[in-house]
Amino acid sequence: MANYGMALDYKNCINCKACEVACKEENGVQLGADKHRIWVGVKEIEGLWPNLSIASSTFEPSQCQQCENAPCQEVCPTQATHYTKDGVVMVDADKCILCSYCMEACPYDARYVKEDTMTVDKCTFCSDTRLLRGETTTACQATCPTKVRTFGDLDDPNSEISILLAHREHRTLKTHLGTKPKLFYLI
Amino acid sequence: MFVLAEKGMKIIERFIPMRHTDIRELLKFEKTPLNLLVAFTTLVFLVLFVVGATNYLIHGHHAYGVTREHPWGLMIAMYIFFVVSSTGLCIMSAIGHVFEVEVLEPFAKRAIHGALVTLLSGFVVIFLEIGHPLKMMIYNTISPGLTSAIWGMGVLYSLYLIFIVIEFFFLLRHDHKWAKRFGIFGLVVGVAAHSNLGAVFGFLVARPVANGIYYPLYFILSAMVTGCYLIFLMYGFKYKLNFPPEMQKTLVATSKILGLLLAILLFFEIWRMLTAIYGGMEDRAETALHILKSSPFLVGEILLGIVIPFLVILLSNGKAIRTMVFASLGGMVGIFFMRYDLVHDTQLYPMQTLKLREYQLPPSFIEYFPSTTEIFIALGAIGIAITLYYIGDKILYLETDPD
Amino acid sequence: MKVEISRRRFLQGSVALSIIGGTSIGATSLLSDENEHGEMRIMTRTTNTKAQKVPFLCGMCVNKCAGIARVEKGVVVKLDPNPYFPKSRNMLCPRGNAGIQTLYDPDRLKYPLVRVGNRGDGKYKRVSWDEAYDAILNGTDKFKGLLQILDEEKDNRSTIGYCNGEGLSKEGFEELMGLKIGTPNYVDEISICLETVLGGYSATIGAYGEADMSNADYVIIAGANRAEAIITPDTMDMFKRSKGRGLKTIVLDPRFTNTAAKADRWYAVNPGTDLAFVLALTYVVFDENLYDKEFAKKYLVGYEDYKNHVIKNGYTPQWAEKITNIPADEIYKTAREFMSSEHPIYYQGRRSVFAKNDFQLRRAQAIFQGLSGNLDKKGGIIYGKKLALPKEDVNSPMYAQAQDRFDKEGIAIFAGKTGSWIVFRNMVLEGKNPYPLRAMFMRKHNPMAGVPNTKKTEEFLKKMDLNVMIDILPSDTTMFCDVILPEASYLERTSPVASYGFLEPAIVQRKAAIKPMFESKTPEVIYKELAEKLTEPLWKNSLKYDEDVQDDTKGMKADELAKYYKENGFDLTEPWEKSVEELNKERVVKAFGEEAWNTLEEKGVYYPNMDKYHKQLNPNEYQYYPDDKKNYTTKGDKLKVVVNFKNLAKKGVDPMPTWHDEWAFKVPDGQFRLVTGRHAQFTQSGTTNNMALRDLIPTNYIWINKREAKKRGIEFGDMLEVKSSIGKIHIKAYPTEKIAPNMIFMLHGFGGSSKEMEMAYGKGGNDAAIIEDKIEPVYGAAVMHETNVEIRKV
Ligand code: SF4
Ligand code: SF4
Ligand code: SF4
Repeated sequence: MANYGMALDYKNCINCKACEVACKEENGVQLGADKHRIWVGVKEIEGLWPNLSIASSTFEPSQCQQCENAPCQEVCPTQATHYTKDGVVMVDADKCILCSYCMEACPYDARYVKEDTMTVDKCTFCSDTRLLRGETTTACQATCPTKVRTFGDLDDPNSEISILLAHREHRTLKTHLGTKPKLFYLI
Repeated sequence: MFVLAEKGMKIIERFIPMRHTDIRELLKFEKTPLNLLVAFTTLVFLVLFVVGATNYLIHGHHAYGVTREHPWGLMIAMYIFFVVSSTGLCIMSAIGHVFEVEVLEPFAKRAIHGALVTLLSGFVVIFLEIGHPLKMMIYNTISPGLTSAIWGMGVLYSLYLIFIVIEFFFLLRHDHKWAKRFGIFGLVVGVAAHSNLGAVFGFLVARPVANGIYYPLYFILSAMVTGCYLIFLMYGFKYKLNFPPEMQKTLVATSKILGLLLAILLFFEIWRMLTAIYGGMEDRAETALHILKSSPFLVGEILLGIVIPFLVILLSNGKAIRTMVFASLGGMVGIFFMRYDLVHDTQLYPMQTLKLREYQLPPSFIEYFPSTTEIFIALGAIGIAITLYYIGDKILYLETDPD
Repeated sequence: MKVEISRRRFLQGSVALSIIGGTSIGATSLLSDENEHGEMRIMTRTTNTKAQKVPFLCGMCVNKCAGIARVEKGVVVKLDPNPYFPKSRNMLCPRGNAGIQTLYDPDRLKYPLVRVGNRGDGKYKRVSWDEAYDAILNGTDKFKGLLQILDEEKDNRSTIGYCNGEGLSKEGFEELMGLKIGTPNYVDEISICLETVLGGYSATIGAYGEADMSNADYVIIAGANRAEAIITPDTMDMFKRSKGRGLKTIVLDPRFTNTAAKADRWYAVNPGTDLAFVLALTYVVFDENLYDKEFAKKYLVGYEDYKNHVIKNGYTPQWAEKITNIPADEIYKTAREFMSSEHPIYYQGRRSVFAKNDFQLRRAQAIFQGLSGNLDKKGGIIYGKKLALPKEDVNSPMYAQAQDRFDKEGIAIFAGKTGSWIVFRNMVLEGKNPYPLRAMFMRKHNPMAGVPNTKKTEEFLKKMDLNVMIDILPSDTTMFCDVILPEASYLERTSPVASYGFLEPAIVQRKAAIKPMFESKTPEVIYKELAEKLTEPLWKNSLKYDEDVQDDTKGMKADELAKYYKENGFDLTEPWEKSVEELNKERVVKAFGEEAWNTLEEKGVYYPNMDKYHKQLNPNEYQYYPDDKKNYTTKGDKLKVVVNFKNLAKKGVDPMPTWHDEWAFKVPDGQFRLVTGRHAQFTQSGTTNNMALRDLIPTNYIWINKREAKKRGIEFGDMLEVKSSIGKIHIKAYPTEKIAPNMIFMLHGFGGSSKEMEMAYGKGGNDAAIIEDKIEPVYGAAVMHETNVEIRKV
């Protein structure tokens, strides 16, 4: 039993999208631009050439926030979306009826329709691939050139992520919605 | 087939009085231009339905215009359109035969019939929306998501269906005592299902314009409005605008109630917009302003759906019941847009406001347009509703007293 | 290609063929489907089954990161980073991850093909390998063979040209064509890439060196886009410490890149004027005496001449402001900050040659670095060390009839081995070559997309009697070839071991994750078999025409002749007597012992004391060498910075960096300067058919300034015609403020014309079709940013 979370040293991110490809390969995420579990976002730059605001063009790598209070789980009529014992929000494809309610409910646009099963899919923290084989990193973390991500057990005070979060300031996305995301952006 | 159906009808006749049990009778109707037009349109709609549904069965959700950013589309809107109509008719019927407001009693049976018909049509639509309807029936039962508003809605609407079927059954048998009892059940469950439908949207904390507190009341209100419109339409059609005096009284009363409802609804809409725009939430305000400027909202929802019928009632003191029939037709179009907007507007504001690719425009309000398949199925569902209504009208005694 | 199996049947085909090849493919773990547009998509997914883990070196770009291929039931299902290689430090970029899609690309060349139609019309016949080699030697009714050509040219080997792309098997091709078959006429990617950077730095500080980004505290990056053109370890080290975390970053680029997004300051420098910026920095440093005087006295040869030169010429920041578009006070600030930093680096840059003054620019940068004294030390530009591997000598024959290469027109310093693509091609087209050039042997190279002026490249290829291509995909260039030999992709081959040097040196080996698919073969096997086919007939041709050989062998008996043939290197097959695997083992064992070999086999990486040094520091980071074992300082007193390079003057090159007014940035009214570059999600034209990468960048666009676009009524996605003096292309518009109003930018490598690459075909525009074929005067390298264009909405 663990409580998995992820810390993102997002200032490291160079928007290379290695994580996006790694996730697809590892987890068999279908090709196609809108079929993704993970993404890197960037705001349209502010200012007029050559006086552009560098700060306005920060890269924000993200994926399912693995909310502790997940709206997607709350709205699922068949418990297809559920929490695993390790605190990962997962979709059981067998139970998913594709009512798309979770896609409506997720504040982060983290979900998409997987077309081979026609069920909803999203980041699993690689639970059913890498973690299942006993690996301790996620695909997106492992491949990242600038090592943006640190994945680990929030309940273990000695894990790297716990140490990071204890020592560095961090924030979460759309905190005001009360979803209690477990993706922490290190400041 | 025919033989079987007729046998079935013969059996039913043992329990409830029927006008016809001869199937061939169903195809006979007065060939007025209007009737022919309706018949023809319905037929076309039914054909479209078959085409649309087939396409959906072959291509699944690909056949729909829904996307990752806009997962709910016309099908959901149509479903809501029907089920809200159903609740509205149920409430209106109940006012007469459950709460015994005499002047409204005449349409009790017809309204329940309408409620049944629209509910069934809604179910047809939702079956074509859910990706795996069979799995739904299994896992809704053995693995219920009790916190899910959709789950609650599914259960309540199923119960509601059962209750109004029984209510209708007793109504047709003139068993007012039992009809009333089940009427109460139906009403309670219907209203519960209905506010649950409100909750389906109300619980979407992610979506800036989904407004939890406001929805349940708004839904009941707009349901009753829909019920009134449909009553006008059903009777307008039945009597070809030549209402018998008794009916005139009923409809004038209906239109007065409707006037009041519309006034409140309008009031609600104004406050909804005002709080959204000046509520201090930027994304909500932005979205509200966007909605405010859209024609489905202004022309559909407000003008056709509320203002025109309201003015007709206001200016005639509720007496212009013939005009009201036409206003109701427009009203239903408005109501459709109300449902469509509910679904679409909820999804307007993007959950992803960042650019995910270099070569794209920054995300702005999410666009959606229903695919042909969706439109076919939606029109088809209207065709189904009309057909079912027609059949009921043809074989059952839908007035208070059998002629 | 007519004989190709259809894309739809690709998977079935691959399963069947692989079984013949001895491996079995579990098609279940290779998910494939078709999207609405009928494009096929293949994805893999890892499972819990037992898997082989094969160390490989990435071949998706030139960087060669180390990875571990996860192979399940004979299918490569995932490529993971290899945590042992100090250069790539446990990472794979998007292209590295997408290597699987290149391996399983349905459009891959699967069998040897021989042209049966006209050049460029795509009609080929599937043949056996032997038939293909035979077609190269003897030709067909459609084209002449090598033997006939050499017979007609009286054994002048120089009538054959060859070109080659970067990679671990590059050297073998050079051995075959250059050393063994004996032609000097070789061109490769250097002259369309970083030749002046390498040249400028070598001429000045003795080497290109490596920037120690993990210890630097101030960096100026100009003409390099490390966030998008990923080079390890620079990219990783740089951006972990940018943004106020220890490495102050100043970026110069005409457009706002992802690197600029990570900078503290970004200067929108005018294209081709970086030299003025560096000269002005130097001016401030001399004027204010900010340089490391002791260091300069000791190591900077002729720096006082340079001081006079810079001051006398008045290269002030005010002067530079007008040229560069960078405010004078910013230049002052930068110069002062740089010199007052402890470990400042003026990043060497890489990439292409942008402007005619590029050689001088790099010299000026290197000198500027020298002035800071931050050279050959921690946090500076370092030289490092390399682990030596025994070299295999090639016994290269002498051909009396062969002549020198000719592509020297307009070039000051003639680079010898690799020459200049543009000069070489253009001289042939203009008939300025002293002897005919009749055949091109090409490998892993796509000049149609890479060398400016595609039209000329096409004409050049059409002029040849024989074109041979060894590659994995039917590129634009491949479609003009007569014989096409399918090469195994990098995941299907074991490559010659490589030694990586600098701070933390290591030996690395790429191992084949799976056997070559279809009928493809590894490059070394192709070289070997081709050599076997050619050696006897070509030897006979030499006997027939080569007077030296005739003199030497006059009256020899058969066995003497055979001995002569062997001893004098006429036996072309000699370098490939042993397989790559055998040679690797032999060389590594010889240098480092058996244990080292076992480590290399298992981990893909070896360096002395690896077991002691290599440590995991946290889930993300590793130590490769302890700090005191890193090669920060290796030159010591041998360090030399050549500031005043007098010998250059003899060749007509400025001995010290000098600005010439004709280099000023000028764009006629209504026109735009075209700049090109990269995003991190593709590598030139070679990856544009990759399905996973196509998801990320489906096509290239023209960046055009938003306000300028508005003026012209151009909106996002509008199709534009972009026209230069040499050609025009169609490409979609992307209005953005990230570029100046008088410039446009497009990604290089798109706009493929080969119909056989279904994903890449017709997507976007090919910049080579509009970039004018201008060269810089030192090496004749292609200049990429000196083309003005007109645009028009279509
Ligand atoms: S791999 Fe790392 S640097 Fe690249 S986009 Fe993902 S998070 Fe950013
Ligand atoms: S981010 Fe979205 S999908 Fe993930 S747990 Fe939260 S609500 Fe669910
Ligand atoms: S944790 Fe795994 S599934 Fe989630 S985004 Fe990263 S790679 Fe994809």
